[in-house]
Amino acid sequence: MHTLLNFFIKHNHWFLFLLLEGIGVMLIVQFNNYQNAKMFTSANSVAGNLFAAITDVNSYFALKSENAQLLQYNKELNGQVTALKARLAQHHDSAMVATLPHKANGFFYNSATVVNNALNAVNNYITIDKGTADGVEAEMGVFCNEGVVGIIYTASEHYSVVIPLLNSKSSISCRVKGSDSFCTLQWDGCDTRYSYLVDLPRYTKFEIGDTVVTSGFSSIFPADIPVGIIERTEDSDDGMFAQARVELFTNFATLRKVYIVGNEGRKEQWELENSISKE
Amino acid sequence: MTSNNLIRIRNFVILAFIQVLIFSQIHLFGYATAHIYLIFLLKLPRFTSRNEQMLWAFLFGLVVDIFGNTPGINACAATAMAFARGYILESFTQKGVADDFVPGIHTINVAGYIMYATLCLLLFYSVLFLLELFTIHYPLTLLASIAASTLLTLLFTLVIECFTRKK
Repeated sequence: MHTLLNFFIKHNHWFLFLLLEGIGVMLIVQFNNYQNAKMFTSANSVAGNLFAAITDVNSYFALKSENAQLLQYNKELNGQVTALKARLAQHHDSAMVATLPHKANGFFYNSATVVNNALNAVNNYITIDKGTADGVEAEMGVFCNEGVVGIIYTASEHYSVVIPLLNSKSSISCRVKGSDSFCTLQWDGCDTRYSYLVDLPRYTKFEIGDTVVTSGFSSIFPADIPVGIIERTEDSDDGMFAQARVELFTNFATLRKVYIVGNEGRKEQWELENSISKE
Repeated sequence: MTSNNLIRIRNFVILAFIQVLIFSQIHLFGYATAHIYLIFLLKLPRFTSRNEQMLWAFLFGLVVDIFGNTPGINACAATAMAFARGYILESFTQKGVADDFVPGIHTINVAGYIMYATLCLLLFYSVLFLLELFTIHYPLTLLASIAASTLLTLLFTLVIECFTRKK
């Protein structure tokens, strides 16, 4: 008994080592499995506030380009408004207008600022400054002026963590413009400018230069938000499907202003789909 | 001893700020990220108890993890490095030296210090990138990341070593 005790005392650093590594591995597993592991991510208020303060300072340096970008976006929107007004005028007297839903498909929008954005890992995360207090929940879509950014992973009261396209866990339902078959966008963890369309049926007709947009099937994003341009096509490893390298529209390195899109009908659709798989 | 600890905590905070706000954001060529906070662990005195080293390492790794959204990964890697550091340091210490010294180019010679730092960093990055990728699907990416990050951090370690005066 005494020698056993001595053994434990003499080698206590081994036990501390195993204990600490155990805690570490637990944190890794927990973060991958549960969305409520907020404390140890930048969704916690200390880290969130610090990054928000830094972003406040940093954003001044980008004001000029940001303004230019917003102006450009405004210009495009104005163009659309004029075009739509003209079309509305055509239908003004018809009964069609009365039957149009008030909110298109139940999507609603919110804007946010990126407060932390690191792109150097295989699983990147972006922190934004809106949380549950602003109506943000997990699994809402996030996009910016250029294109899709990602999906909300977890939200605390005032901050949320986004899984961007540049995360090996991200997979977003997409469609090649001009064709009806849909496919999945996945990142390979290497180049932050490119992502891959996988599981494209081989009969899909698509060409280099085609635009990739969201499919709208997942009910996270409305349909037709731009994602990127097909840059290279190839066969998948097993030869069963085609795949394509997509140059992303979103420049994640300079991302600042983003929009969050929620869907009132999503819960209902999700519950309906789940009730089938349970049976 | 108390002032010693105060200096240590001060260094901890300064290094943590620099690491989180500057170095964690830099990613050279898609492969190399410098973790200069490891200097803190490399420069702990020779006879710091292994338990104390590991606790510092775990705490520091956890802080970097929280700000980098990688819970547990840095903490695990840094703890592993702190655990092995004692053994590595002893093999580069001249026989018969019984002093408690801070590892550096003045206390063990330049080549010895470089070897000591390289081995420690190699161990750290091997654990770090293995945990991050979790599978070895891309062995070449993995090796390139480990080698490039080790070199980059080693470079920063030596630069800082040259600019800090021996007390």
